[in-house]
Amino acid sequence: MDAAFVIATIIKILIVLGIFSALAGFGTYVERKVLAFMQRRLGPMHVGPYGLLQVLADGIKLFTKEDFIPQGAVRPIFMIAPVITAATAFIAMAAIPMFPEFTIGGYTVKPIISDINVGLLFVLGVMGAGLYGPLLAGMASQNKWSILGAARTAIQFLSYEVVTGLSVLAPVMIVGSLSLIDFNNYQAGGVSDWLVWKQPIAFILFLIAGFAETNRTPFDLLEHEAEVISGYATEYSGMRWGMFFIGEYANMFTLGFLASLIFLGGFNDLWFIPGAIAILMKVFFIFFFFLWTRASWPHVRPDQLMWLCWKVLMPLAVINVVITGIVMMF
Amino acid sequence: MVEAIAFYLFAFLTVAMFTITVMSKNALYAMSALAAGMIFISAFFFLLDADFLGVVQIIVYSGAVMAVYAFGMMFLDTTKDVKEKNPSKKIVFFLSGMVALLLVLIVLSPIVSDKVQALYPISHDIGNAEAVGIVLFTKYLVPFEVAAIMLLVAMIAGIILASKRMDESITLKIDQEIERSKKEQQ
Amino acid sequence: MSGLEQFKDRNVSQNYYKVQIEPYPKTGWEKFKRVLKRSIKLELFVGLKITLMEMLRFNIHTVQYPKEKLPIGPRYRAVHRLLRLLESGTERCIGCGLCEKICISNCIRIDTKVDEHGRKVPTEYTINFGRCIFCGYCAEVCPELAIVHGPDYENASEQRAHFALKEDMLTPLDKLKQQQEYPGFGAPTPVADQRIKKTPLAY
Repeated sequence: MDAAFVIATIIKILIVLGIFSALAGFGTYVERKVLAFMQRRLGPMHVGPYGLLQVLADGIKLFTKEDFIPQGAVRPIFMIAPVITAATAFIAMAAIPMFPEFTIGGYTVKPIISDINVGLLFVLGVMGAGLYGPLLAGMASQNKWSILGAARTAIQFLSYEVVTGLSVLAPVMIVGSLSLIDFNNYQAGGVSDWLVWKQPIAFILFLIAGFAETNRTPFDLLEHEAEVISGYATEYSGMRWGMFFIGEYANMFTLGFLASLIFLGGFNDLWFIPGAIAILMKVFFIFFFFLWTRASWPHVRPDQLMWLCWKVLMPLAVINVVITGIVMMF
Repeated sequence: MVEAIAFYLFAFLTVAMFTITVMSKNALYAMSALAAGMIFISAFFFLLDADFLGVVQIIVYSGAVMAVYAFGMMFLDTTKDVKEKNPSKKIVFFLSGMVALLLVLIVLSPIVSDKVQALYPISHDIGNAEAVGIVLFTKYLVPFEVAAIMLLVAMIAGIILASKRMDESITLKIDQEIERSKKEQQ
Repeated sequence: MSGLEQFKDRNVSQNYYKVQIEPYPKTGWEKFKRVLKRSIKLELFVGLKITLMEMLRFNIHTVQYPKEKLPIGPRYRAVHRLLRLLESGTERCIGCGLCEKICISNCIRIDTKVDEHGRKVPTEYTINFGRCIFCGYCAEVCPELAIVHGPDYENASEQRAHFALKEDMLTPLDKLKQQQEYPGFGAPTPVADQRIKKTPLAY
């Protein structure tokens, strides 16, 4: 049993690593296509049928590009920063139950690498620690744009971590557990049991904070081209730059899984759709939503970001927690 | 067996990281090593089955060290070595070594005399988070509330300190206005 | 080619419309009201709707360049051509050197000699396309319609020396039959006769 557990865990880790690295690459293709269609363009078309092999071409380019380290940079930290982003994105997935349990040849497989009972906090904490990647990259690059990106990372992380924490607090109070599996089981009774109906404000706040934490468009101040060239990634090239983006796309999928597990019913069967396909649909809708907003909404300024966080979102989150507490008490 | 290996690995890593924090002259190395050490400490909580505390360690200290980074960014050129004034290294090393030794002795003596017992041992009937909650809201309620009030006071003080000239924007002013406001201040 | 003509229409100013911008709020209460109004009107979702509708309508405007090309204007100024006389096949250039003189980026160079018939002919004629700004003065000034701007705009090359030589621009002798009187830049416009006026000096 013990040996089987170790082997099963290793296989699960390899599968998660492989699938999500590939999905991160495929995510860039989907992003380019969706953005192109929304802007009346075609997107990549030339490599492979409908440009499907563009990911491969990009990968070859990234891998064979010179691994350049600027002279004034702090070498070890400059080299380790992208690894932090990519690694934390995958570590965060360790505590996410991706699918319902299933059986292969008499062996029940739990599609979660490590079922710790504080899974939600673990995922959020490790995803938050992933912002050390941009921070260290920006500070080690010896470049003014980079250090501006790093400073923005610091403020964005410190403020939006608060909103994420407070927004999931209300659902945690209702469910009474920090385990994502408990969240899933709580919403087992169909669409009407979804937590998003009980906690709509928490859901919206969580999504907004998720945009800030995954560094996606309305809040992607860390590498806002118009203001700070490429922010923290200005000095990066080749695979080190690629690792930042694998981490970013993996984080988007993590956030998709989190939002669907906490608010949208998780991997429970949805009408006639089996649970595994239902959660995939939810995750891909949230992924699509990320791209959709990127095509539609403009960036915000850093001061608007802080205004939104501290004057709007945080008070709303606190009020939401208080009201939830009062309602639960009576 | 696995736990022993993990313990010694993380013990070595933690000590190494904090050694770098103390010894390094480069602020960026020191802060990064501090952050890494704080995260390695959480491994001990995970080894002791205190998942909740381990995760809280990661969340709290990654945020706290991020604030240290912000200060480092503002006050230092983090890519260069800091020139330290150390008139006599011997005294510094002697004093800090003695303090560290004393701390180790203080912590170690009850363990050696075998008087330490867990007042609230981890029970597997209730989860981690619940156990922490029960302790916080029963035995340690008063210190908990006092700490909460202290944090509230600190928060209000911080807001008041920061908000004195919050509505004025330096970037939107023209030069003459800045000069005028400087004169008004004098 | 047929669907692409709409992009040639540069006369877009008739479709301009002015955006009404409300005055900016001054006091805190007005700002709060604006935030509330924008939140209730769900302005953000208007943007989302527009992009989604564009995606579903799938009205793609991409021109896939190497496969399909936009039509170029009839008097487009691309790589030069040197023409020959249609009957005899000799070069039209009489080596007057006007193009060399008028060239504002100094990229044309002519060497001439007097040949056995007593005609002045260019021995060498080069245009440095790295410097040429395709202003069209050389074609305009040429009295013999010998140098014109052709329609071939795809002149990328690995080396600067390419295209710069007379042999590349001159109509080859065996293709003389295909050479037609060039209507493009350098030739008089079709309505040139109607536009002609007496110079003021004549009266």
